[in-house]
Order: sequence, then C-alpha cells, then structure tokens
Amino acid sequence: MEESLFEIYQAPQLRNSSLIVGWQNHDVGKLSSKVIHFLNQKLETQRVAEIKPAGFFPLGGATFKDDLIQVPESKFWACQSHDLLVFSSEEPKYEWYRFLTAVLDFAEHHCQVKELYTISGTPSLAAHTAPRKILAVYNQPEFQKTLRGYGLEDMTWEGPPAISSYLLWAAKRRQIPGLSLWPEIPFYLAAGEDLLAIKLTLSFLDRRFSLGLDLGEFDQGIRNQNEKIAQLRRKNTEINEYINRLESGLSLNEEEQVRLAREVYEVLGRRG
Amino acid sequence: MGIKLFEQPELERPELICGWPGIGNVGLVAVDTLKGMLLAEEFGEIEPWDFFYPKRVSIRDGLLQSLEFPANKFYYQRLRERDLIFFIGEKQPAGEGGMYATGEKAYKIANLVLDVAEKFGCRRVYTSGACVSPTHHALKPRVVSVASSTQLTEEVTRYQNTILMSGMGGREGEGVITGLNGLLLAVAKKRGLESICLMGEIPDWLAGSPFPYPRASKSVLEVFADILGVTIDFIVLDKMVAQIEGVIERIYEGFPSEMKERYDQRKFIARAEPGGITEEDARWIKEHIEGLFKKGGEEGGGKSV
Repeated sequence: MEESLFEIYQAPQLRNSSLIVGWQNHDVGKLSSKVIHFLNQKLETQRVAEIKPAGFFPLGGATFKDDLIQVPESKFWACQSHDLLVFSSEEPKYEWYRFLTAVLDFAEHHCQVKELYTISGTPSLAAHTAPRKILAVYNQPEFQKTLRGYGLEDMTWEGPPAISSYLLWAAKRRQIPGLSLWPEIPFYLAAGEDLLAIKLTLSFLDRRFSLGLDLGEFDQGIRNQNEKIAQLRRKNTEINEYINRLESGLSLNEEEQVRLAREVYEVLGRRG
Repeated sequence: MGIKLFEQPELERPELICGWPGIGNVGLVAVDTLKGMLLAEEFGEIEPWDFFYPKRVSIRDGLLQSLEFPANKFYYQRLRERDLIFFIGEKQPAGEGGMYATGEKAYKIANLVLDVAEKFGCRRVYTSGACVSPTHHALKPRVVSVASSTQLTEEVTRYQNTILMSGMGGREGEGVITGLNGLLLAVAKKRGLESICLMGEIPDWLAGSPFPYPRASKSVLEVFADILGVTIDFIVLDKMVAQIEGVIERIYEGFPSEMKERYDQRKFIARAEPGGITEEDARWIKEHIEGLFKKGGEEGGGKSV
C-alpha cells in the first residue's frame, strides 16, 4: 500500500466490512451523490481518510460551479455499528488503475473489506411512470447466487467500461466479491434528481445491511415530482404524447428525446 | 508494472522488431504483417493496466466476464538464419488526447520491452514508422532510415529502395522520430544495443489522414524481407493498398485542377527537395483536408457501464 497517497484522520474500527462506492461526477439522476449523502447523514458515519488529489486530478487551478469553488475530494467514511466503509469521489482524471488500487488497498488493509458495492445510475428509455429496476453486475457467480433474493436484474452489456466496472474488475483480481448497482433512470430525469431510483437503491442497501433506514421522507418528493410532470403533460400535448409513447414501449427520435428532457428539466429544476 | 511471459523460448541472439501505431500506421502494419507472415508465436505481454485505460467491458447475464485493454504482446519465430522477437503495441501510452507516448510511462515501457529482448540475448533492435515527405502518392515510397552507428547506416543502405535521412532534402539529416518508434531506439542505444529505424515515405498531405498508408508499409516490408532473407506474400497487403488507393484518389479528385497540376509535378522532379505545390496550395490543403478526410456520422452515444 502506497501510504503517501493517503491522509488518514483516524484509524477505522472495522472488521469484515462492506465497501460502498459512489462517484460524484457523471452522476445520472444525482443517484450516487444522494445515496452516499443520505447514508453518511443517517448512519452518522465518521470521516476516516482521504486519497490526496495530486497525480489523479488536474491541479493547475481551481474549477468553480454555480459560483462555488470545487475541490476534488476522495473520502472514506466509516460506520462502525454496521461495519460499513463508504467511499465517495469524483472520477479521477488520470491514473485510474493506481487510484482504484489505492481505494482497495485502504479498504483491505485498514478495514478488512469483504464485499464491494458500487452505485451509479444508468439512463433508460422507460417512462418515469414505469417501476424502476436496478440492473446488477457481479464479479463472482457465487456472490450473484447469494444476492438472488433482492430483486436485482442481471445486466448484459458490451462497450466502453465505466470506472465502476473497472473497480469491480480490480476487486475480482483480489478475490473480493463485488456488485455494481445500476439503477435505471428515465433519460429525462437524468440531469436532475430521480428520487424514486434513489429510494429504491437505498431500500436495497437497507435490506442488505439491516440499516433500519426510514425512507418515508422521499415519498412526498416523489409525489411532487410526479405531479409536476403530470401537470406538464396536461399543459403540453406534445410532451404528453412523447411520454405516452414511452409508456407503450415505443421509442422517440433524438430531437424528441432532447425536447422532452429539456421541458421536464425546466419544470422540475435541478433538484427535481 | 510487469512483464508476463507465457513461455521461455530458446532463442539464439534474436533480433527485436517493434511496431506501434503512428502516422498512417506505416510501421505497425509492416511489422504486424511480417509477424503474421512468419507465423510468429505469442509468448508474453506487458501488463497493460499501469499504462492504458481499458477499452471494453463484457458483461453477460449479470456477470463481469472481461475487461479488455490495448494489447502489448511479444512473439517469437526461429528462422534459418536468425531468431526474431516481435513486439506489437496496439497503442502508445499517451496522455489525454495524444497519440504518442511521452514522459515517464514511455520510458518505462521502452525499458520493459528491452528487458525482455536482452533476457533472450538480443543485440539488435528495429522499429518502423512513417517519414513525412514531399512525395506524390502515385510514387513508390522509399524507405528512409536512421541507425545507432555509421556501420549500421552503411549496412542498411545496401538494401533496395532505401535512403538515409540525410539524403532527404531540407533536413540536414536531423529530425525527430516521435513516440515509442523513436524512443525505443534511443533507449536501446543507451543500453548498448544496435538500433535501426525503417520509415516508409508518406506524402505530406496524407500525414494527418485517419486511414493507414499501406503502400509505405509494403516498402518497409520489402526491406525487412531483404534483411531477413525471407519471401513475403503481399496478396493481403496489396488488397489493402488497392482499397486505400481508391480512397486517396477520390480525395485527390477534390483538389482544385491547377493545384493538381502543380502537385503532379512531384512525379517528375527530384524528390530530395520540397516542391510541386505553392505555399497557397499548402494552405488550401491545410484548410480543406479535415473536411476531405472526415468520416461520415458520429460514433457511439458516449454511454459506458
């Protein structure tokens, strides 16, 4: 383990922990950041360490977004009562393999990690009124069997890998069982928040780790989101027709998709 | 950062022939074709994850099957006269948006390749690439060479259709061989190995094209065949040449007629000096070439899992 890569604030008291990883950029439906934030808040996790940004992120200046200076952060939090290690970071710009090795090194050497879970939303062509699905990718068949009863749907896919898949592969090489959770998010909710997908993901984690989370606080937000879209459909027949088509399993062309995404984004705003 | 050898072939003072992507993939196509023709066998690889990002993930029925990286493989073949090691790198360990390897990673990969070569007793290294030249696409490309010693430059010019870099006009024998096809030679020389680069001529206006230039690869391959004393079947490469010639001719047809006339003079003037086109022509090419080369349609939707 390259100790110089880390800033360790306190020694985590975890044994046989599970590592939950979320990425803060390219965050479809804000799913990853919201799930991690919720877990940290409700489980009162302790910040234990971070990976220093040098070598992984561009440090030639500071970026800002919405008038706020952005700092690349890659932090570990620990929840001793549930033996959970939470890691949240932007995807590094450089040296992915070294970065992912550092994540797993810390988790193995300091927290005896036994399982890995990554969380990232994936855009879907389903309508927001359809039940959400969580697509799943495992790195070991035995682990897949263990998690059969959780209602996850097996994914089949080939193409460029996301960082979560790279991490899953790196964990496999160390014989750490891993699962990537890819909750489906209607493409027109991808730029904002998809509260239903966030709640569904948290429900899975709640069941898996017996966290005793109260997820009721999402219900009002989900109702509001659905009502706003319903109002938009009543007001705008074209948008209503687009969503009707998605509900019937039909597709939209690129121009229609962009129009729908823009209209919904304007109605819901960034926060959904 | 490691080397993985699947077997330890018994080789006697093998010579190393390397190919990486570059302008027109001239060197890579030549070396890869030679490796294929000689039925060289794979015996090792450089572990790619420290140098490259994965290019493809395969997931089936919920199970991560594989993560595919650019290949960096070693091959060997025993010929009657000599033994050979090939190294083919599918990609150079370049920074973001770059094509050519630079910096620490380039130096490391060059040394790893030479570690394997020296382990098997190699004393001579060949790389191959492109030499951008004011030539005409209808002319047979020459093979321009540089080497680590005058003894070697004398040796290499004994082969057909070769010329030393100093014989190319306007360069005074100076220049840079960009990326690993060049750096490997420098590192080899530093380690006391003989090193030679064989570069196929590519017309200047085609240097930025998105497709290979197999005519130059064929010229390089002919020199390799001469050096190694082997017979090469050019059928596959000739098909590729014919296909690309068609593309080039179609682009060339898009040149303004006066410019074409001037450019065609390149067929008849001595090739040592730049000529045949005016500065204005060069500017026209620069302004229009991307549009002429542009491939139709955008690739993919940017999704990754």
